[in-house]
Amino acid sequence: MKRNPADKMSGKWEESDLVRRACHALDIAKLTVEQFAANGYVHSTDPAKNVRSEKVLSETAILVLHASSIDFYPDVRTRIASLAEYLIPFARSERTLLGLCLEPSLAWDYALPHVCLTRLGYGDAQFDELLSRSVRSSAHAGRERVPHRVLEQEWLARGWNETKGARAITHSRAARASILSRPLDLFGGTRDDIYAFTHALMYVTDFNLRPAPLPRPRPMILGEAEAALSRSVDDQDYDLAGEVLLSWPLTGKSWSASATFAFRVLARVEDKAGFLPTPSTRIAELDALDGPQRKQLLLATVYHTAYVMGLLCVASLRPGFAPPMSVPMTASKCGSAKKILAAIDLDSPSAHWQEEFQELTAAEADSLAGFLINVGLHRRIAKRDFRGVRQLLELAWELDLANTPAASQSAQLLDRIGTLAKFKENARCGPPRDQSPLAAIT
Amino acid sequence: MKTSEQHRQLVKKLLDAKAVDFAAIGKIVAEVGPSLSLADEPGDWFCGTNRIFFHVYRVFNPGLPVEDLGELAAKAQELQR
Repeated sequence: MKRNPADKMSGKWEESDLVRRACHALDIAKLTVEQFAANGYVHSTDPAKNVRSEKVLSETAILVLHASSIDFYPDVRTRIASLAEYLIPFARSERTLLGLCLEPSLAWDYALPHVCLTRLGYGDAQFDELLSRSVRSSAHAGRERVPHRVLEQEWLARGWNETKGARAITHSRAARASILSRPLDLFGGTRDDIYAFTHALMYVTDFNLRPAPLPRPRPMILGEAEAALSRSVDDQDYDLAGEVLLSWPLTGKSWSASATFAFRVLARVEDKAGFLPTPSTRIAELDALDGPQRKQLLLATVYHTAYVMGLLCVASLRPGFAPPMSVPMTASKCGSAKKILAAIDLDSPSAHWQEEFQELTAAEADSLAGFLINVGLHRRIAKRDFRGVRQLLELAWELDLANTPAASQSAQLLDRIGTLAKFKENARCGPPRDQSPLAAIT
Repeated sequence: MKTSEQHRQLVKKLLDAKAVDFAAIGKIVAEVGPSLSLADEPGDWFCGTNRIFFHVYRVFNPGLPVEDLGELAAKAQELQR
């Protein structure tokens, strides 16, 4: 855990590097739409790897719209224009127009690329006419959606209406109903729950183009994002990690120690692999193919996480929003990192972040004590090692790191589990005199 | 009370309680088995009522480790124009 302090760069992440990464994502986007805009991707044997053309078009349109916030970079501007013009015929294809007519409750889903293009200045009056008839029909809201999907619909409607001169909507009931309004289930929740969180944030903030107020204060939201980030970085789930990392530049200029470190990890991994990888890209599967089929499979598994890295770098390129180059110092006690590392098993499985961690100074490592605690809690709860969870909480308390959502949710988990154990013991031995759930635990 | 202090107090409450019977907990976990989680069920499983047209900015994770970064880099060359 040492690096020559003289090599440390001060200040923010290199602007030129962020631009390079953003352009890389836009270049992959161009390749992706050229391959998949017309018919999507169909895997020869595994339908789970299929990708609909609508998904590719929508995700590309969102990336391009978000990139428009930094079109003062000429390299970005030319790529935006090239992509937007390529998307136009697919965004307004006959298939899409027919979908608008036949499925009004999916009108905004079909119209997503069109709305993004319209916001970029590439409007289409005929599409607007059909879209208007569809979203004004009595059937237009006839499909139930979970709150973050309602937010998506609201975001699209808001964006489209603003291009027609309507005033911006400043508050959202859907935002208050979404996961942004209450604590995430940090240890029992799934990837889909974290995606709900990240997507709700994207739509409420409108990618910092015209942000609406957050339903909870930024520190509360980021406190949970920290835990979700530690989990996804340790799991090498870089698609999710990249989206969670967006929480910082989409909501403000400051980056925590954990978020700064995570950005460095993602950047390092992207540099080593040539793109930000996911487990979906399997070498053996690629080697079994050749020619266009091989390239298509590679692109189909690679494009999405490349887009996420693009979104992250674009968000970081807004003036003042870049991550720090060095891990910021926190109030962590000296020696915290060593104590936590000694207490948690990091040998199996070994993650990419550990390589980056080795290059930190001792002070930087201590600043990441909270990150290490979160990793330890996640690993131990996943293994159902509740004794280990309690040990880690005792250490967190000693190191003054128990003031986080992850720590309190772990404590509450232990309390519930302990109560269950006591009930089982009572059933075996007969009821105790004292019925208090906490006091009876031995 | 500040949120961070609320988290601290919850942890303190747990730590101040008597030690948990981890042997009993281990027995419960072993009895129920490792595949307990309802959270692992794909999508919503109540009559498939929450069908989704397509998922924007979401990918399935097969739960396998990421491949060797060097080997992936060799494949990435194929994406260069």
